Amino acid sequence: MSESWRRIRAVAGNTFLEAVRQKVFAVMLIFGLVFLGGANYFADFSFQEQFKFLKDLGYATISLTGLLVGLLGAAQLIPAEIERRTILTALCRPLRRWEFVLGKYLGLAALLGAMLMIMALMFWVVLRWKEAQLMGTEGSDTAVAQAIQAEARDPRLWQAFVLMAAKLFVISAIAVFFSTLATSTTFVVAMTLMVVFIGHLQSVAREQWLESGETLGWILKMFLAAVALLVPDFNLYNLIDEIVAGNVVYWRATLEVAAYSITYVLVLLMAAAWLFEGRDL
Amino acid sequence: MSPAVLTGSLRKEFKLGWGRGRVLAVEGLDLEVKRGEVFGLLGPNGSGKSTAMKMILGLLRPTAGQAEVCGFRAGTLAARKQIGFLPENPYFPAFLSGAELVSYYGKLCGMGGKRLEARVQELLALVRLGGEAGQRPLRTYSKGMLQRAGLAGALVSDPEIVMLDEPTAGVDPAGSREIRDLIRELKQRGKTVIFSSHLLEQVEDVADRVIILHRGQKLREGRLEDLLTQTTEWQVRARGLREDRRKELHAWLVQQGAEIMQEGFPRERLEDFFLRSLPEKERR
Repeated sequence: MSESWRRIRAVAGNTFLEAVRQKVFAVMLIFGLVFLGGANYFADFSFQEQFKFLKDLGYATISLTGLLVGLLGAAQLIPAEIERRTILTALCRPLRRWEFVLGKYLGLAALLGAMLMIMALMFWVVLRWKEAQLMGTEGSDTAVAQAIQAEARDPRLWQAFVLMAAKLFVISAIAVFFSTLATSTTFVVAMTLMVVFIGHLQSVAREQWLESGETLGWILKMFLAAVALLVPDFNLYNLIDEIVAGNVVYWRATLEVAAYSITYVLVLLMAAAWLFEGRDL
Repeated sequence: MSPAVLTGSLRKEFKLGWGRGRVLAVEGLDLEVKRGEVFGLLGPNGSGKSTAMKMILGLLRPTAGQAEVCGFRAGTLAARKQIGFLPENPYFPAFLSGAELVSYYGKLCGMGGKRLEARVQELLALVRLGGEAGQRPLRTYSKGMLQRAGLAGALVSDPEIVMLDEPTAGVDPAGSREIRDLIRELKQRGKTVIFSSHLLEQVEDVADRVIILHRGQKLREGRLEDLLTQTTEWQVRARGLREDRRKELHAWLVQQGAEIMQEGFPRERLEDFFLRSLPEKERR
């Protein structure tokens, strides 16, 4: 193993360990799991409505918990290290700054990945539990039984998780980017949320830029171009809503969004490392 | 052989931002630290000691001038491989144990496997954090224990140079003595130790050479022996001299034309007295 990778792994491992040992993340995870488990008791409609409700609530819970962990975790990755001065004892060693930034991000990504897997597993258990309940009450009819099984064992569940993970990794990378510039966690959270908000309007900006012709002034055109190129398009992740609504979403489309997300993550991390390189500590 | 640290016209200005101007932290610092010596950076708060150290470590970029570590440009990976650093009032990751902290720093230096495990145990024993103490979370450590854990972390890669920024700040006298003993031990092992302090007695105890900084500029530099020895005066410390003989000696000195500036029973330093008063096992 190269020394560089060993150092990145050490930073990532330490970041993961810190998050795991911090009670706040454990509390968030427990909250998410309790909510997922409790979702089973809310529904009292037809079985299709029950599954729809369950999936809506399940994806929303996982998405919100992941967002809180990713955003808060990434926002304090570097500012907290600077504030506690622990960064001095790390970066005075033969550790390149980009290795530090990458290690920090990978540690957080590992935490997010682990959390998503635990919550996905819990969600799967809840769905199978609902299936068993409904099969007991309504499963005597073969057609209904098949429909219940199809809803409970919908393989698009995993597509939704891939998309959710991709979205959270991009948001975390944006927060890491801002955390290399800032000394305050609040600033990082505010800036990241603003970019995410703009990201939901990105497609509008892109269309305006591409189709404006001579109708817009050059300053506005430049601004729209900058938004369209620099800010990720968060509307792409609306595929999750399509899955929840029961519409067909091809794996190819899911993987394209995943590749788009990886590209943005890489660009953001490179920009973060470049900015952090010149920063006085 | 290139010196341990060499700086030329090193300068650092900090921009205050929002048009509030700049603050000059270090101005034209020329410094040469030889290999194997204990070098003290002295000066009041804000004199530029920590800034100078951070530039040597590559944590701050000089506004002008240059710094080298063992012949390598300061801040490069090769230069940082030569240095172990303990910052002022360090806050270590509180969720780690002492052993995990030293191991983490070792991994950041590219170490791993059995070699690192053995090194961690060796260093924890050296700073008296072996056994159960090394397994406890750092948040349960006293200030002195934290400082010792930090020292173990600074030494993990067996660096050529050890830099300590105010290593005894906030540490009790016993802990402070321990750190000074450790500095002496490092010197015996052939290491170069650069440390800053504004506790002059402590620097005097261990440093070979010092530099005095004030508002970022060098005021004095030299070997302690040269700077502190007053060649115009003479001092004798004797034991077993009777009262009448002392009076005779006094009279004879006056007769010889000497001006008696100080005479009487010597006083022990408070720190030595304090340490002597402690139970023996707690002195170290």
